[in-house]
Amino acid sequence: MSLLELKGISKIYGDLKALDNINLSVDNGEWVAIMGPSGSGKSTMMNIIGCMDKPSLGEVLLDGVDISKESAKNLTEIRRDKIGLIFQQFHLVNYLTAVENVMVAQYYHSLPDEKEALEALDRVGLLERAKHLPSQLSGGEQQRVCIARALINHPEIILADEPTGNLDEANENIVLDLFKQLHEEHTTLIVVTHDPEVAEVAQRTITLDHGRIKSDKINEMFGKS
Amino acid sequence: MFLRMIRGAFARQWKKMLVIALTIMLGTSLATAMINVMLDVGDKVNQELKTYGANITVLPKSASVMSDLYEMEDAGAETGSYLLESEIGNIKTIFWAFNIVDFAPFIDTDVTMESGSDVKITGTWFNHHLDLPTGESLDAGVNSLRSWWDIDEGEWIDEQLLSENEAAAMVGTVLAKREGIKAGDTIHVKGSAGEADLNVRGIFDAGGDEDEQIYAPLDVVQALSDTDGYISSIEVSALTTPDNELAEKAAKDPGSLTIAQYELWYCTAYVSSICYQIQEAITDSAAAPVRQVAESEGAIMDKTELLMVLITILSLIGSALGITNLVTASVMERSGEIGLFKAIGATDWTISGLFLTEILLTGLVGAVAGYFVGFGFAQIIGHTVFSSSIEMKPFVIPIVAVLMLGVTLLGSIPAIRMLLHLDPAEVLHGR
Repeated sequence: MSLLELKGISKIYGDLKALDNINLSVDNGEWVAIMGPSGSGKSTMMNIIGCMDKPSLGEVLLDGVDISKESAKNLTEIRRDKIGLIFQQFHLVNYLTAVENVMVAQYYHSLPDEKEALEALDRVGLLERAKHLPSQLSGGEQQRVCIARALINHPEIILADEPTGNLDEANENIVLDLFKQLHEEHTTLIVVTHDPEVAEVAQRTITLDHGRIKSDKINEMFGKS
Repeated sequence: MFLRMIRGAFARQWKKMLVIALTIMLGTSLATAMINVMLDVGDKVNQELKTYGANITVLPKSASVMSDLYEMEDAGAETGSYLLESEIGNIKTIFWAFNIVDFAPFIDTDVTMESGSDVKITGTWFNHHLDLPTGESLDAGVNSLRSWWDIDEGEWIDEQLLSENEAAAMVGTVLAKREGIKAGDTIHVKGSAGEADLNVRGIFDAGGDEDEQIYAPLDVVQALSDTDGYISSIEVSALTTPDNELAEKAAKDPGSLTIAQYELWYCTAYVSSICYQIQEAITDSAAAPVRQVAESEGAIMDKTELLMVLITILSLIGSALGITNLVTASVMERSGEIGLFKAIGATDWTISGLFLTEILLTGLVGAVAGYFVGFGFAQIIGHTVFSSSIEMKPFVIPIVAVLMLGVTLLGSIPAIRMLLHLDPAEVLHGR
């Protein structure tokens, strides 16, 4: 069953078509990598799927609901309840500790629970660093805090924008291992990347070019490595 | 979590918060100082102005009419109507007795000097000791009522040091030069009812017509003009409240007031109310404000207060602009954080609430500190300008609190608007 469906999506800025008639379906529990060069429309697609932007044309069905017609207030609620976001720049609050950064997502979702937040940090291997500020953490550790924050409210879909873009190889592998675990737990993952190695480990790779889908391939080696 | 976020923001951004608090402190301190000085300045300015002379003249009723009709300076003597010397002390028994700062009776007559020239001699009190029926005793007279007179030679007459039959006098500087009179001389004068040898105690420079006259104790002039027990006018210096519509209406006709208006007017230290009470205390008298002085005092008071209101408004506008800049800069600097909060599901109002709480707590610290700094400013102004301390009125605290709350919120509006319009997609993806 499709968790996410994009039907004839276009995003137009004046004369520029950032996305041009995109049709895409993502099943529940699927791990999809979206690739493409700069300006291909990856971030625009990510923003539309993440309820942070609306398409100029077309429908976006998330769990059967057309989010392209929803109000800003409803989009905030959908984003809060159904989507976990991971960013290339981490976007941690610099004056909050690692555990507090995770709890912020709980606070805006429902009620903060420090025990649960610590468990989420434990899951990404950062329990000992829970009381550290972002400035006291390495890039890889910050990204793992970001993953813990994205997971804390049990979203239906995780959107990751260049999650390994600022990481070294060792930390990249840690993050990809975490994605594998999430996939095994049937979490739907959509990862925007320009790194072929990151795309290769996904179940399916969609390549964008000039706002259009250039290719949509199933990774035959998926799960074999 | 909310408190953790607030605490974290304060702990790790204390320098920015300190600058905002200092801005609010500056605005609060100026507002506190100005409002307190403004509320206290009425009495202070009034007291200052009272050192420049009388603001009420009391004449016999018939003389007052003649004076109004024909602008006669010496209507009392011209009309042959007088006030009773024995009633002068009644001035200090009226409802506003404590507002009567000083007073002096006057009577004048023409005398001929040895040189043959005719001059005006004015009888008055210099520092006359008075025991009132109320048990109060005081010294009143021109020594303090006309303290701005320069004594070119000699000194003021001290009535309490005069021997029983001693006749002293003070001579105006113009007359002294013309007649070659010096302090310590004795001059012989001849009036309509007698003659006297006057010991010249001092030569004064009043800068007016008085410089061509002789001033002597009241009883001396009464003997020269056979007016024992009578006076032609009284000058009174009183602390007054600036006139308003009610005072102006009452000044025209107190009978036109309602009972409530009458009570309010009677129990307020308007110059017209004090005049009315003096008339009640002295038989057949007409007390009138020296309009020029009263109006000047009112104008100075109004302008002083206006100046302080403007300073207060400008300081508040300055604070609001400072807050706007600082909070807007803070929102811009923290746009990533705001975008993140929006992205993870925070509503505009929860984020605005977070920022406003931070700003208001910072404002509270700044305002409390500003109140005490303002207290210091007010005292500096009080001692520098009025040589006395400024009384801090407790009701200024809520006024300043409301003003600063308004200024802080007003100053935060542009930043909050920016925050509400901030697009998370733009700040998080740098689009």
